[in-house]
Order: sequence, then structure tokens, then C-alpha cells
Amino acid sequence: MGSVTVTPASFTMVLFDADRIRELATRLQAELGMGDTDVEVVVDEATPLTRAHVASADPAQVVIESGAIEDPKRPRQLSDERAVDVIGRLLLRVRDRRERGFADAPPDGELTPAEAAAWTAYAEGRLERLGHPAQQQRWRYHFRNRHGFTDAADAAFDRLWAADTLTWAELSALSAEAAAAAVPSRAAPVG
Amino acid sequence: MRKTLPVDDLARDERFVRVPFQARMSDPRQAGSGANRAAGRLTPDRPEAPDAARALMHGIFVGEIQALEGAGRTCWDFDTGAGRDQAPFELKLDMARQCWDEARHCEISVKLSDWMGTEIGEFSENTFLYEAACNPDPVLRLTGVNRALEGLAIDVFTTMREFGQVAGDPVLEYCEDWMLADEVTHVKMGSDWLRRLTATDPERQKQALEFQQVVDKLFSVGGFRGDDEESPVRLARRFRELAGFSVDEIDEIAEVSRQALEEAKAARARLAARTA
Repeated sequence: MGSVTVTPASFTMVLFDADRIRELATRLQAELGMGDTDVEVVVDEATPLTRAHVASADPAQVVIESGAIEDPKRPRQLSDERAVDVIGRLLLRVRDRRERGFADAPPDGELTPAEAAAWTAYAEGRLERLGHPAQQQRWRYHFRNRHGFTDAADAAFDRLWAADTLTWAELSALSAEAAAAAVPSRAAPVG
Repeated sequence: MRKTLPVDDLARDERFVRVPFQARMSDPRQAGSGANRAAGRLTPDRPEAPDAARALMHGIFVGEIQALEGAGRTCWDFDTGAGRDQAPFELKLDMARQCWDEARHCEISVKLSDWMGTEIGEFSENTFLYEAACNPDPVLRLTGVNRALEGLAIDVFTTMREFGQVAGDPVLEYCEDWMLADEVTHVKMGSDWLRRLTATDPERQKQALEFQQVVDKLFSVGGFRGDDEESPVRLARRFRELAGFSVDEIDEIAEVSRQALEEAKAARARLAARTA
């Protein structure tokens, strides 16, 4: 069984419990069939912002800004639901990267916002089918922001959400096709 | 029915959770490493933009609820008349019209939340707007709420309308545009009544403008709203002029915001120095 570690081991700027985060991540590790994978969850507690990314697929290391797993109704408190959502999404991305069909996927830092949104939709749909709460409309809104507010974008999103075994080539093609159908934005007047 | 309902007695169902302004301001992360990255105009190309827009629009939604409650209370809390502790009938008519607008804004905001994938009560509620609407002087209510906070709403709606245009989101763009039109009217009401009710009472006008400045400064924390490129929300100068602000008044708000931004930068520098 692979280990699960949380960094830091104790928090000073937020009221998070590292043991609780480890417990949630361990449950996800098993649920996603990644029991043989060592997982490290790194939380940047110095920022309330919400970015999260895969720093390494092998060994698995995910880096999360504290705002991403914070309860939006209770500042500085951990939200189990958000933690499961973010860690689950990133572990699925790790799992994808470790499969042959994603060998040519760029590192997280080089993903375009559109590719990242497409991958998120693909992961969130799978988490929902595992029984986790999913805010499908939230992620659809993210996807539309990156691909345009069009029927083509919605159709691509639906396919990503429903998919279980995509390759990087298929995922990036769906994203590119949706983006190609976007209506160019109009210049905004000055208020 | 009682006069001046305290904030704790506002009707909310279990979906809503209130977080005091102090709790947000005392978060040690506000001066941390991410704060510099959070600076800058809120535009769709920023990685966190969709969620930032969702949170901001939820904040506006609860503000609309409180603006409805505040305007309604102003119709009720004061006897009708020309005295300092009274409200003229015409002012109450304006407040009643504002209630109608705010109720419509609540409905628009609920539908906009659905569109953006936000659940009602997903984010915490800050009740500062209603608290400003509890001032015992109706003129201070109007400067605190109508001029300061609805003035901020003008800036936010202008920014978010532009966000919708750039993102190609017609729903966000038109919702913001329709609400913005009403906000200009509400701020204008505040400007007009301030001048009418304090025309022969410079001391009262001074107090009202000082109260407005306190509220403006609170909501310029960290340079959240200002003229700078670093401000997520830009001062909507033209709309503010239409709403009865003089150029000097707008410059003053910009200066308050600039000071808030500099204070935030200095705080971050001090924290970084301590950490090093």
C-alpha cells in the first residue's frame, strides 16, 4: 500500500487538520485504484487563493492553495467536500498521466486554460459517478469561459463529463473543436 | 412593529452563514504570498477568474437582499416629516421604488447564480450593508448605503459587465447592464437627498460625508477597487458622474483606494521581511 503524506504536518495560518486531509486523501487513493501509489498532498497555507496542480505524477505530488479546500462559508476552516473534490480531481489527473494515453500531455504548468478546464470536466464527471457531490453547472461555466458560450462548447463539455476512458489526444481534440466554434469577444466600452 | 431591526434579527434560512467583516480582515493570509498574484483586473483569462466571478456575484446577491431590507426599513423606521429624525414623504417614495428595484435584482441574481453554477448560500454573507442601513440618521443611511455601497456596486457591475463581454457571456453581460442602470439611479437618489436634506445644515452634511468615507475606505481594502491597473474592480468614473458624484469626490475615492493599496503592499513587505 502506498503512503499518503500531507505537508505541512501542522498548520498555523489556517485551521486545517493534516490528519483529516490525509484521511480523505487515503480514502480517495483506494477509491481510485491507486493503492500502490505514494501520494503527497502539499498545502500552501500562506495564500487564500484557490489554484491546485499536479507537481509530479511519479511520485504523486499535488500542490493546493489553501483557498481551494477552505469552507467558503467559514474562513480558514477545512471543507471536507471541497478537499475531496480538489484532491480527487488531481489524483485522477495523476492516474491519467500514468497511463499510456496521456504520455504526450504537457505538464500542468504548460496546460492552456482551455485544456485545464477540459481535463477538469473529464475528472469531475468521473468523481460524480463514484458518488461524490459535483457542481456540474459550476464546471460547465468554467468550460464555457474557456471555450465560448456556444452549443458546440456545451456538447463537448457533455462528452467530457460522461467519458471514462479518454486519451490526451481525444481530450485535447474535444477542447480544440469547442474553442474553434467560439464567437470572438467584443471590445468592451469604458464605463 | 419595532423600529430599526437589528442585524441579528434579519430573516435567513439555514443556507445562509454570516461572517463578520473583522473575520475576513484578520485572516493572516491576506498579507501572504498569494496577495500579489490576486492583484490586477479581474479578467476571464485569469485561471481563477470563473470562481472569483461566482464568489463576487454571490456577494452582490446578498448585498441586494440587504439593500431591499435597508430601503424597506427606511420607509418604516422614520416618521414622515422634515425633522432631523424624520424622512420626507418623497424620500420614502424613492426608497419604496428602490425596494422594487432591489427585489428585481434579487431575482436576477438568483437566475444568474443558476447560470454560473452557484448555489444560494454557497459563500458566506457579510452584513455590512444592512448595518450601514441601521444608522439613526436617514441622511447617513443614504450616504453609507446609496452613495458608498451602491457606488461600489456601480464599479463592480461595470467591471463584471466588461468581464461578460470579454468572455462572450451574454447572460452575465445583460444582467450586469440592467442592474447597473438601476444602481446609477439609486446613487443619484443618495446624492440628491444628501444635498436637499443638508442644504442648511453643513455640520450634518459633514457627518454624512465622513460616514460615506469610512464605508468607502472599508471597501477599498487592499486596493480592491480603484483607478489602478492593480485593482480588481475599476472606478466607473463616467457612471459615478451620472449618479451625482463630482470629479473631486471621485478623485477622493481613488486616493483612498490608492492609500489602501499602498498599506496592503507595505503590510506584505513587512510580513515577507519577518518570514525571511
